This record gives sequence, C-alpha cells and structure tokens, in this order.
Amino acid sequence: MLTSVSREVRVTQVNLNFRKSLSGIEKVGDLGQCFQCSACLPDCPAATFSPRFNPRDIVMRVLLGLEESLVCPDSLVWDCTTCYACAERCPQGVKPVEVITAIKNRIAEAGLLPQQVAGAVTNIKETDRVIVHSDTVDRRRKELALPELVSGERLIQRILRGEGNG
Amino acid sequence: MGKYALFLGCLIPMKNPQIEKAARRVFEALKLDVVDVQGFSCCPEPWNFKGASLEEWLLVAGRNLFLARKNGRDIIALCNGCSATLIEANHLLAEGGIEAKRVLELLKKRDVHLDGKVRAAHAVEVLYRDLGVDKVAKSCSAPLKGLKVAVHYGCHLLRPSEIMNVDDPFSPTMLDQLVEATGAESLPYRDKMACCGSASMNKDVSLGMARKKLMDMEEVGAQALVVTCPACFDQFDLGQIEVNRKFKESHSLPVLHYFQLLALAQGSNSEEVGLSRHKIKAKELNKVISR
Repeated sequence: MLTSVSREVRVTQVNLNFRKSLSGIEKVGDLGQCFQCSACLPDCPAATFSPRFNPRDIVMRVLLGLEESLVCPDSLVWDCTTCYACAERCPQGVKPVEVITAIKNRIAEAGLLPQQVAGAVTNIKETDRVIVHSDTVDRRRKELALPELVSGERLIQRILRGEGNG
Repeated sequence: MGKYALFLGCLIPMKNPQIEKAARRVFEALKLDVVDVQGFSCCPEPWNFKGASLEEWLLVAGRNLFLARKNGRDIIALCNGCSATLIEANHLLAEGGIEAKRVLELLKKRDVHLDGKVRAAHAVEVLYRDLGVDKVAKSCSAPLKGLKVAVHYGCHLLRPSEIMNVDDPFSPTMLDQLVEATGAESLPYRDKMACCGSASMNKDVSLGMARKKLMDMEEVGAQALVVTCPACFDQFDLGQIEVNRKFKESHSLPVLHYFQLLALAQGSNSEEVGLSRHKIKAKELNKVISR
C-alpha cells in the first residue's frame, strides 16, 4: 500500500518589472548599484528591534522582483521609522528608505494600507490636520492665551481636487 | 534677520500647546520677526501621508510653501516632521525632477506658482544659523546651571543631510551648543543618534527603541531629555508610561522641547511653559529653576 507523501509546494511569483518600476523614481537612487554590502544595516533601528526587518534584504527583494513579499497586507516595510540612516550610510548612493516609501505608495495603490495608516491619511484629508479639532483643544489653547485655531476650510481637499489654492 | 511665518503644524497647537506658548515667549525675547499666517494645513506629515502618495504629499506641501511666499515670508517650524516635509518638498519642487514635474503642472493649474525663493527651516536651525549661539546665550538671564541634559535631535532635523544641509547626520553639535547656551550641560551618551521609534507601526519596535534611549540617557545621569519635535516628545513623555507598563520598569525622565528649556533660561517659570501638563513631572528640573 502506498502511503501518501505530504509535500509542501511553495510558488513564488516574480515580477520582473518591479525593479524597473521603482527605478523610475529618482529619489530611490540607482538600485542597480547595490552590491548587498550591508552598510545600511548597523545603524538601522528597526532592524535592531524587528528580526524580520533588514534594509539590505528589502533592496534585494526589489532587485529580484519579489513584489508579493513587500506589496502585501501587513508588509514589513511599516516597521521602518524613516530615520534615513540607511540612505546616509550607503556608499553606492542607493536610498533604501526611499525604496521603502516607494513600496508604501505601491501598497496604497493596491488598496492594502494598514487600517491605522489609511485612517490617519483620511483624517488629514478631511480635517486638514493630524488630530481632530475638539473642544478640548480650544479650551487648552484658551487657558494658555494662545490665538484661536481655524478649522473646517477643506484646504487639502480643495488643492487635491483642483478647486483652487485658497 | 529674516521675516518668518510661524508654521505650527498639528501636534504642537492641538496636543502640546505648551510648546507653542514657550516658543512664542522665546521669539519675543529674541525679537525675531515671526507672525501668524492663516491658512496653513498639515505640512503634510512625512510618514503616513507621504507613504500613501508622494504626489499628494508634494501637492499639499507646495500649497503651504506658496502661502508663505505670498505673504513675503519664510517658514519657521517647531516640529521635525513639518520642517522635514517643507524643506524636502521645497527642494524637490525647485529641482523639478521626475516626481516634481507632474506636481508642478498640477500646482500651476491651481494658480500655485513657486519661484524657488521661499525658505523653510526648523526654528532651532534659525537660532543656530541666523541668530547665533552667542546671542541665544546672552538672552538667558536665568541660566540653568547644574542641569544635566540628554539631547535627542530627532532624525528629520538633520536627515537627509544632502537636503537638510544643517549639521553632520551622525555627529552633530548644533543642539548641544544651543542647550549649553542655556547654562545646562549636554551629556554624551551611548547611541545618541538613535531614533525615538515614534514612526514605526510595529509597537514592539517603537517602544523597544524608546526604552533603549531612556536607558542610555539614564546611564549617564541625565536629569532632563530635550527634543525639538512633538512626535519625539510624545514618544518619550506619554511613551515612558507605556514603556513602564510593558516592561514593568519605572523610568521618570522629564521631557522638554528645546523652546521650553530656553524659555526657562530666559526667566519664564515652569507653569508659564506648561511643564505641569507633561506626563512625566519635572521634579529635579524644578529644583534647578526654583532656586
């Protein structure tokens, strides 16, 4: 009698255009210049505290076209604090932090932003500010005799929708 | 000296108005030409908003820069996030590279015309570069002698250094000099340029980083932690409570924005700069300032 053999098959999708599409963004630097030296790693605070995070590895995944591992829900790129140490340390002019921002933009285009990020962005677009303008805000400002804050002008929505610059 | 429009941002006027209060007192004491301009929005912040869309981030920042220009003023900011966004966006829009080209066209359609003449800077940079450390020191009528301070620059004050162009991104002295101008001592400590962790979406990473910094500062006997950014401020003040809860520790290092420290050295009392509003109470600091 044959016994069934369980064998896990892992298929990895490669997007050969991934690197090219990110290379079109000037800020990321010339990705092809990365020789995986790891100079970006020692000063990376996210890598120190998150075992899954490594800026060198992120650049490698982009070079290999492993888009699915980065442009996905709960992507590891959100561990990054955007401290820029990686870009400052790179001897080749590659900017891993900007690669990460470009990946985040892709995640947004794919509708896969973490809820926390999507909520924060929506709030800014709707109220022009990071924080909701509550009565508490006004009361605290009054106590300190600070000028009144004006809200509700839809400044960001108007500039994004092309309804003028006011 | 320049003419400045005060860019308050969001976290300072809404969550930490005591920092705004202190900064206004300092501007007055130093006779800086700083006015309020109506109509600024969020800079927008360089983490979530920029992460969602570089194009929209540039567009909104471009509008803020234009508003200052229309008023014939440069931007002075109290937050590393605001200054980083406005300085970087200003740079990108002036260079007119791939990312900026489309945005510049969209801005033109909205009657926003940037001629590259507006400047944005963090207020700390304005004090250091335009006013000078000596003048800051001369304004300190009540020097904070004997106070041991650990400074935290915050990443975006200095980086990306090729654009910020203000001090060395790994061994700066600007903020240390400005702190010493108040009479306090700026202590060297381990991993001084490490990030506060505020912007990481991973709470373990974020609090781990804050905790490590607190321990490195405590190790050298710091009595106060000085920041230049409200995000770093919240991460260390409110964050300290979270670190204490998560790791069952008892950190109690008071956190001040640089402008609160400077206002104290210029003679303001702790109530006037709102220290009682902070989560971590400034007991040691009060001994130094109430002498």
